[in-house]
Amino acid sequence: MHLFGHEKDPVPDGKNHNGTLNRPEGVLYSTPVESEGGEQADGTAIIRIDHLSKVFTGKTKNVIAVNDVSFEVMRGEIFGLLGANGAGKSTLIRILTTLLSPTSGQAFVDNYDILKDPEKIREIIGVCAQNYTSDSELTAYDNLEFYGKLENVPDSILPDRIWELLKMAGLADRAYMPVGTFSGGMKRKLEIVRAFIHRPLILFLDEPTIGLDPEARREVWQQIMLLNKEHTTIILTTHYMDEAEKLCGRIAFIERGSLIALDTMENLRNLIPAGDLIEISVDHMDPLAEEAIRKINLVNAVSVVEHNVKISATNGSRVIPAILAAFEQYAIPIISISIHSPSLEDIFIYLTGKGLDSGNGDGNETPGTGRRRSP
Amino acid sequence: MPMMLRSAFAIFKRDFKKFLSNPFIIMMTLLMPIMYLVIFGNAMGGTITHIPVGVVQEVPPYNDTPLFTSAAYQLNHIDQTDAEKMLDVTVYADEAAAKQDLDNGKLSAVIVFPSSVSNDNAVRVYLDSSDSITPALVEAAVNQVMLGLGAHNPVLVDKIYGDIKYIQFFSVGVIMMAIFSATMFGGGIALIKDRENGIHEGYLVTPIKRSSIIMGIILSGTVRAFIAGCTIFWIDLLITGIILQSFQDFLLVLLVILIACIGVTSLVVSFASRFATQQEYASVIAFLNMVLFMTSGAFYPVIGMPGWLSWITIINPEYYGIHALRSIILRNQGFNVIGNDLIALLIFSTAMIILGIVTFRRTLE
Repeated sequence: MHLFGHEKDPVPDGKNHNGTLNRPEGVLYSTPVESEGGEQADGTAIIRIDHLSKVFTGKTKNVIAVNDVSFEVMRGEIFGLLGANGAGKSTLIRILTTLLSPTSGQAFVDNYDILKDPEKIREIIGVCAQNYTSDSELTAYDNLEFYGKLENVPDSILPDRIWELLKMAGLADRAYMPVGTFSGGMKRKLEIVRAFIHRPLILFLDEPTIGLDPEARREVWQQIMLLNKEHTTIILTTHYMDEAEKLCGRIAFIERGSLIALDTMENLRNLIPAGDLIEISVDHMDPLAEEAIRKINLVNAVSVVEHNVKISATNGSRVIPAILAAFEQYAIPIISISIHSPSLEDIFIYLTGKGLDSGNGDGNETPGTGRRRSP
Repeated sequence: MPMMLRSAFAIFKRDFKKFLSNPFIIMMTLLMPIMYLVIFGNAMGGTITHIPVGVVQEVPPYNDTPLFTSAAYQLNHIDQTDAEKMLDVTVYADEAAAKQDLDNGKLSAVIVFPSSVSNDNAVRVYLDSSDSITPALVEAAVNQVMLGLGAHNPVLVDKIYGDIKYIQFFSVGVIMMAIFSATMFGGGIALIKDRENGIHEGYLVTPIKRSSIIMGIILSGTVRAFIAGCTIFWIDLLITGIILQSFQDFLLVLLVILIACIGVTSLVVSFASRFATQQEYASVIAFLNMVLFMTSGAFYPVIGMPGWLSWITIINPEYYGIHALRSIILRNQGFNVIGNDLIALLIFSTAMIILGIVTFRRTLE
């Protein structure tokens, strides 16, 4: 299936575009694959975005927040929107949730046009915004009740549903306390459960786990996966790599408002030509052994720096036996060995030339970007 | 010491930058005193003109006497320096009809002339004493005209609503002020707070309709204003010694307060539906409050305002509210007099509710 024919078309309408953005030549894309995160994906699109752009006009200059983005989200999948701060993820979510209108382009949510049928869309979506939107003067229970009524949850089931959600969020004992007294993590959990009080068809989560401790993040992830098993399509934005890796069937990279890649984790990993990185510590290294390793099929490069041998191979775990055999052959004792699969961050750096958390490219790495290491 | 000055300057600079970045607030800061000058000055100090009075001649004789003709003519032509004439005289053939119009508030006074010039036959002046200014003016005018005609008939004055003190006259206006104050802090400010804190993003993605948001907030504001209005009404009764004539009057007062609350709240909410910050909202509402209260007739009869200013009263819900409340509380009048006020308030409310709904932004833009 052709997801988004990106034929280097000019920016739609050409409104306010000065073309100064350095977009990659083409967008990497592939057919959707039923994978970990998208258990329920049935191959039909629930969201279609077609050459969508959003320009914020300012006094001194215009900001292109979303730049000619096209893609589809499949029914039942967990779809990740990944990008640095200010990449345009939230703007895209706000357009899809009818809070902003696009400058140009079209989008359909469950076949409803975002411009023509916003009311219909609001009935089928649940949204957890990035900032806190609960009323801090009301209690947790009152907040949920308020939203339950706005989302047309029948009065007969609403109290039970509220308690179910409060328990889910671990807030049952705080039900009657004002939300203003809650910690950041508690507020966030309340926001998340609130988003699906009415069991929406599509759930938008904008940075759902921001500010949560590791345990709370895992709980949220479990909840997201559980909801997905119940046929909820989930679109989440994040700048946490591990979150996207853990949850998402397909991942879209957004960079400066443009879509730069969209694929499953598996396929994205294959984008990096160097493949996996295998690091082996040794006492000494034999040049002949190095030569032998270099000849092994699938090995791309070998470098030796003092006692460290670094091998990049297309499929690391499969090459290991052959590499070990070579060390055996030249009687070189191995002290330690590790395989490093490229993480989303590596892919991101490969695609954009900068780190995900670096914002404007100052290269600072902040904690929380999970690097996947397998021993 | 230099360090302290430096920090002080930093605080100054930050505050001043914010001030300059909001031209709207600067404008309102200057507009407020100017409007005070123009509106307060004109509404309070204006010369009273065109007081509607009715004149009747006692019967018999059934044809107009020279005294009556000249008195009516002279009353109708009392010139005032720098202003238009004081009285608008309507000639009635029937005393009962004239008094009927006085009771219904169409006239401020009825003057009944005797058939002849004599010391025995008095000129009877019936005054709408619920007004704070006009009775004295009418009385003085009658005395002046009689003197001018050389007629020494005694002048009998009947204040039809008794002696009404200024505090009683003004206290009715204060009920309206309580309603407006309540809506200033209650009506729609929640919408702006939500907008400032970004909370509205949460409910704008739900299926809720704009009309539900506006109606809900108006309902809440109306209840708050109603409680404030009723409380002040009670306090008025205690402080000013007003005595209501019947329980029916009491219920009628509550009804008028309720409808006035809907009118004022929907006006305020229609503004709140558009504003982004509490500061902007507060400055506009304070301004609006001033203009509406000054022109409502709470302090001073509307009749004393210059023409252009009295036009504001036509679209001023507080004017109708105060007129209706005074009719019931001070004059013991009923639906036949306040009906138009209630209709005007309801039309006004409907227009404002529609305006509020139409201008409410359903998106974040």
